[in-house]
Amino acid sequence: MDPTRTTRADLFDPAALAALGRIEIVARWIVDGFLTGLHRSPRKGFSVEFAEHRPYQPGDDLRYLDWRILARADRWVVKQFEEETNLRATIVLDVSRSMAWSGAPARLTKLAYAEQLTAALALLLLRQRDAVGLVRFDERVRSAVPPRSRRAQWQRILVALADPGAGRSSDAPAGLLQAARLVRRPGMVVLVSDLLLEAAAVERSLRELRAAGHDVTVLHIMDPAERDLSLSGDAIYVDPESGLEVPATLADVRDVYRATVDDAIREWRRLCASADAAYATILTDAPFGVPLRQAFAARQRQP
Amino acid sequence: MSFLEPLFLALGIAAAVPLLLHLMRRRAGARVEFPAVRYLVRAEQENSRRLRLRNLLLMLLRVLLVLLIALAAARPVGRLAGTGHPATALAIVLDNSLSSAAAAGGEPVLAELAGAARAALARATAEDRLWLVTADGHVTGGTADALLAVVDSTRPLAGAGDLPAALARAAALVQAAGLPARQLLLLTDAQGTAWQEVPTLPRVPVDAFVPAGPVPPNHAVIAAAARPVRFTPGGTIVARVAGADSTTYAVALLRDGAEPQTIARGTARAGEEIVVHTTPSVRGWTGGFVALPPDELRGDDRRHLAFWSGEPPAVRVDASAGTFVAPALDALVQSDRARRGAAIVVAAADVADRLPALLLPPADPVRVGAANRNLERLGVPWRFGTLRRGGADVRGERLEGVTASQRYTLQPAAGAVADTLATAGGDAWAVAGDGFVLLASPLAPTATSLPVRAAFVPWLADVLAQRLAADPGVVLEAAPGALVHAPEWVTAWAPAAGGPQQLVVEGALTAPTESGVYFLFRGPARAGALVVNPEPEESVLDRLSPSVLRSRLGVRDAQVHASRDAFAAAAFDPAAGRSLLAPLLAGALLVMAMEGWTARRGAAGRG
Repeated sequence: MDPTRTTRADLFDPAALAALGRIEIVARWIVDGFLTGLHRSPRKGFSVEFAEHRPYQPGDDLRYLDWRILARADRWVVKQFEEETNLRATIVLDVSRSMAWSGAPARLTKLAYAEQLTAALALLLLRQRDAVGLVRFDERVRSAVPPRSRRAQWQRILVALADPGAGRSSDAPAGLLQAARLVRRPGMVVLVSDLLLEAAAVERSLRELRAAGHDVTVLHIMDPAERDLSLSGDAIYVDPESGLEVPATLADVRDVYRATVDDAIREWRRLCASADAAYATILTDAPFGVPLRQAFAARQRQP
Repeated sequence: MSFLEPLFLALGIAAAVPLLLHLMRRRAGARVEFPAVRYLVRAEQENSRRLRLRNLLLMLLRVLLVLLIALAAARPVGRLAGTGHPATALAIVLDNSLSSAAAAGGEPVLAELAGAARAALARATAEDRLWLVTADGHVTGGTADALLAVVDSTRPLAGAGDLPAALARAAALVQAAGLPARQLLLLTDAQGTAWQEVPTLPRVPVDAFVPAGPVPPNHAVIAAAARPVRFTPGGTIVARVAGADSTTYAVALLRDGAEPQTIARGTARAGEEIVVHTTPSVRGWTGGFVALPPDELRGDDRRHLAFWSGEPPAVRVDASAGTFVAPALDALVQSDRARRGAAIVVAAADVADRLPALLLPPADPVRVGAANRNLERLGVPWRFGTLRRGGADVRGERLEGVTASQRYTLQPAAGAVADTLATAGGDAWAVAGDGFVLLASPLAPTATSLPVRAAFVPWLADVLAQRLAADPGVVLEAAPGALVHAPEWVTAWAPAAGGPQQLVVEGALTAPTESGVYFLFRGPARAGALVVNPEPEESVLDRLSPSVLRSRLGVRDAQVHASRDAFAAAAFDPAAGRSLLAPLLAGALLVMAMEGWTARRGAAGRG
C-alpha cells in the first residue's frame, strides 16, 4: 500500500496507521503525506552541491528532475544537493513507565505515539538536511544519538528507539542537559513527554537551553483519558511510576479533574512561555500531522 | 403515633442497605493503573469535602426514603403539629346512674360530669361525628350543640343502668363511623359496683374523667319485701338498711287516693333486718315502702314493695286427703292464715267434687282410673299415669329436702298448660292450673316425706293462699328501665299513684324509669304488681382507683383524668388518629426528588 497515492498518512488515525507497518515505514508515509500537504517543497539549498538522487514525489520542482536518468532508465528521480547544515535538532523523548500507557485498547500508548512522532519528525528534519539527534530518558538518560545529517542517521535513531526504557520516574532535566551537550551550537530541542514530572526543574532546564541559544519546543503528549477522565467506575487508581494509590469514584471527581488538568496545562503553557519555549498539547488520538506541524513550525522559525 | 400494620415496620431494616453501600463504596473496586494520578489526587483533595457532603447527603436521603416507605407501609396514625384535630368519631358515655345523683360538695356528681362533657364538646368541629350515650344505653347522635342540649337535660337514673354495655355500644358506634380518628370519652363516678364486668371493646382510645373528692356518706334501704305476698289479711314487711351507722326508718303503706299511711317507725343499724307485722285495712293488691331520712343520695332512701291483702281462704279437708292435712290446716286457722269453709277443697282426685281444690292421688292404686275420670269431669287437663316406686328428691319452692318414694307420672291431657310447681326424678310432681293444684304422691309418709317436714305447713299455706284462694297474681321486681317478662295474662300496667294504663303485649314490658309500685292488670282487675327499685349495689358509692378503673375498661389505650381541664384537653386528641400515610408518601416523593436532583448533579459531573 502506498497511502501517499491515495490519501495523506499524516491525517490517518494514529493507531490504525501504526498497525499497517513498522515504524520506519509508517514514519515515511507520515512525512510524505505531511510534505504533500505543504503544497510546495520545503527543501532549501537545492542549488548548492549535488548530494544524491531520490525518487520523484509529487510537488517536487521539475527543475531538479534528472532528465538524463529519465531518458536512459525511465526512472523519475530528482537531484538533491548537499547544503551546508546550520540547524542541529535534538529530540528529547520521555520513555518512562508513565508513557507506556493507553486509556483504551484501540489507542496507541503515549510512548508508541511519541516514538512514531519522533521517527517521523527525525525523518522530516533529515530530509531537510538538518542534523537530528535523539536523547531518550526515563529516570536516567537511556540513550543518546548525537545530531547528524547523514542518511544513516535515521536508522541510528530507529535503532535507538527500539532500546528499552520504562523507568519508574522521569528525569527530564537530565535529558535536556544531555541534549544541550550534544548540540554545541544553537539549535533546536524538541521535548516529547507526558510532563508527569516536576515542573520547576524542567523550567530551569528550559531556561538554560534558551540561554544557550537553543530553540525549544515542548510537545505535551496526553492520552485522551488523561485529558478528560473518560474512564469509569469505582477503583483504586495506581501511579505506575510512584506506586501512589488513590481510591476514587471518577464520576464524582470528573469535573474537578478536568479543571485540574486544564490548570496543569495552563501552568505548563505559562511556564514554557516564560522560558520562551513553544508548547503544544498533543492527544494520542490526534493524527501525526498535528504535532508535526507544531514541530515544523518551530523549524521554520530557524534560519 | 400508632400503626395499623406494624409488621411493615420491619421494612425499615432495608435502610441499612444504602448505609452499608455508603460505608463499603470506598473499599470496592479493582486496582487500575493510571499515570495521571497526581491530577486525580489534586482533584480529590479539592473535591473531597464537597464529595463527602454530597455522598453523605445521598446516603441520608436514601436511608430516609426507605424509612419513610416503611413507615407509610405500616399505615401510621398520629399527630401532625399545628393542624388541629382531625375529623373524629367521638362518643361520650355519660354516667347518669343513680349514684351520680349523690351530692358531693353541694353539687351532684352528675353536674360535674356534665360540666366536663360540655368542656369536651366545646372542642368539637363540624367535621366530627358525635354521640352521647347515657348509662341506660340511650344514644343521641348529632352536632355538638344537639349533644350539649342533651347533656343539659340529662337527669340521674333511678337505677344503675349498664355502663359497660353503654361503653361497648359507644365503641361500636365510633368503630362503625369509618373515620381513622376515634375516641371514647367516659364521664363516670367510677363506682366500683358499676364496673364489675370488663366490656369487650374494639381498639379505641378511652379517656375517662372521674371527679376528685371524697365519697359522700350514704344510707340506703337495700331490701324491702312483703311476706307472704298474699296477706290473709295480715302479713309481715321485712327490710334491711345499709350505711356506716344506724338510721331511722319509716314503713308506710299506699292508699288509693290518699297519702301513704305510716305503719311503723324506728331506728335500725346497718345490716339489721327490720320486721314489721301488719294487717292493712285495704284489701286487694296494694303497695308500700320503707323510707329513710334524706341524705346525699336520695334515690335509694326509699324502697318499694307490694302485696295482696284479703280474707284467709276457706278450706275444707276431705278425709281422702290423709291424716296430715287436717292438723296442718288447724295450724293455719290458728294463725289466721286460713279458715274453715268450703271455698277450697283438699281431697283425693277420685272424690273431689269441685274446684278450686288441692288434688291428691288416691291412696288405693285401683282408684286411679276413677280419679282420672273425675279429673276429666272437673276439667283438669292432667291424668295419673303409672305408679313409680323408689326414692326421688323433690325440687320446688319451699320443698327443699322433700323426697318422694311413691309417685304417679302426671300426664298432660289435651290443652294442658305446663305450670309445674315441683319435679321428682325429672318428672312433674306438682302441677298447677286454673283452680287446681295436683300432686303426684299422696300426702302420706309412705309416699312422700312432705307431710312430716317442717316446710309442709308453710307450703300448704302458700298453695292455698297463692294458688287456690283467688285469681292468679304475681309480684314482679325490676330495676328501673329493665326489660320484664310478665305472665301472658297481664294486659296492662299503671302507676299505683294513679295514671293511665300502659298496655302489655305478650308479657313483655319495660320497667318504668322511676322507682315505685305499678299495678298489673288482667283485664279490668288488678292482678299483681311490678315493684321498681334501684339495684341494692347502686347504693355502695365506693370508687375504683384510676388504675383499677383503667383495667376495667377493657382497652390498653385508656387514660383516667381527675382534672376537667386535662380531660377536655385530651378530648379530640389529634394524636388519636390522623392517618399519616399521605404526608409520609408526600415526604417520600420529596426525598426521592431531592435524591434524584443530587444524584443528577453527580451524573452531570460524570457526563
